[in-house]
Amino acid sequence: MARSGLEVQKATIKALFLREIKTRFGKFRLGYMWAALEPMAHLLILLAIFGYIMHRTMPDISFPVFLINGIIPFFVFSNITNRSIGAIEANQGLFNYRPVRPIDTIIARAILESVIYGFVYVLLMMIVGLFGEDFKINNILTLVCVWMLLAILSTGIGLIYMVIGKTFPETEKFLPIIIKPLYFISCIMFPLHSVPKEYWPYLLWNPLVHVVELCRNSVFPSYISEGVSLSYLAFCSLLILFIGLALYRTREEAMLTS
Amino acid sequence: MIKIENLTKSYKTPKGRHYVFKDFSIELPSNKSVALIGRNGAGKSTLLRVIGGIDRPDSGRIITDKTISWPVGLSGGFQGSLTGRENVKFVARLFSKQEELREKVAFVEEFAELGKYFDMPIKTYSSGMKSRLGFGLSMAFKFDYYLVDEVTAVGDARFKKKCADLFKSRHEESSFLMVSHSLGSLKEFCDVALFIGRDNKVEFFESIEDAINKYKIDENL
Repeated sequence: MARSGLEVQKATIKALFLREIKTRFGKFRLGYMWAALEPMAHLLILLAIFGYIMHRTMPDISFPVFLINGIIPFFVFSNITNRSIGAIEANQGLFNYRPVRPIDTIIARAILESVIYGFVYVLLMMIVGLFGEDFKINNILTLVCVWMLLAILSTGIGLIYMVIGKTFPETEKFLPIIIKPLYFISCIMFPLHSVPKEYWPYLLWNPLVHVVELCRNSVFPSYISEGVSLSYLAFCSLLILFIGLALYRTREEAMLTS
Repeated sequence: MIKIENLTKSYKTPKGRHYVFKDFSIELPSNKSVALIGRNGAGKSTLLRVIGGIDRPDSGRIITDKTISWPVGLSGGFQGSLTGRENVKFVARLFSKQEELREKVAFVEEFAELGKYFDMPIKTYSSGMKSRLGFGLSMAFKFDYYLVDEVTAVGDARFKKKCADLFKSRHEESSFLMVSHSLGSLKEFCDVALFIGRDNKVEFFESIEDAINKYKIDENL
């Protein structure tokens, strides 16, 4: 049993990760394939609906590529944060095992969602590529950075949500509602440059806009991604992670007290 | 050694806070199994859970250099849609090194005697099967202290005997912290006792007999 704290935490996160993936997909035929198929089906439907309507309105980027790069990062964000709200109650039985701490459940979930959607992202991009959609991954480094920052940002908000949701149980009702409008103001369905410049300040505070637009720019060189910056995203994500960790640290004991 | 320092633990109730322990300190001697004796609701299980680090005190500390198990036979941590094997693997990943995983799973598989059901989702188990799995799982790991909260013997006569034998052999190397209303099993497994009285005063007894006598007098038995 002589393992260091870090080793224990690593083992715990791994155990939670495997448990979660088995719970979600283990019981089906094709098993883990569903991890990829489920969100893909979701996206294909959206593509079919909006692709038809918006096909001609976007001159500088292929529409499926545009949508994939908007919707997948948003799904990563909303899945991690939404499930964090009830994380303590949902995992109550697990806290009987001492190595498991609330933060591990959030980290395991964040890794799981990022891995699943990362996989879906690559798969979908390959599929639309095969269908002749034009894109060119010209900045893979930015792309990877943006994804990592997205995971960090979501983990930070997840921690904050977990602490608030546990401390004030009533907030469970409206915390998810705060996430929903982000769907419409995070440039998922429209490009930033289609918005008049004087309204940009109302959108650009939102780090998700930066995530989405930076992703698009890295796979489509001619896509205009004026106004967004990787350093703002990095600053924002790290700040939120810091706030999340600080909140968590002060409230961890209280959250585990019955 | 397990040292409890200034432990205060309360619960919120509609009629104000209910204090289970107030500023309670004690040092439990090493290598002695401890029986917790008291009426229902006295705080035996709470104390057990606080010592095990599962529940947290309002204030005060538990200081120990020993490893302490989760409550023996616990099945609340099982995920119903996963198989017995997967649940066991999960716990083994938490408590042991990668190399020992196979050995732990094999131990539980053999001990619990669930046969094909070991690879079936837990939600298909009967309650007896679930407790067999839970008991086997607890015994697969070596701890200095095992927390035992009302383990009722499970299964048929033969399986009961098997559990009791394993329990006894564990008792030789490890200690128990035990809550039970079966005074017989407390006498069998424990060396010293903590008596939690009506006024939530905790008394330490060197002999189980004395504690049980005190309990009987208190409850007018």
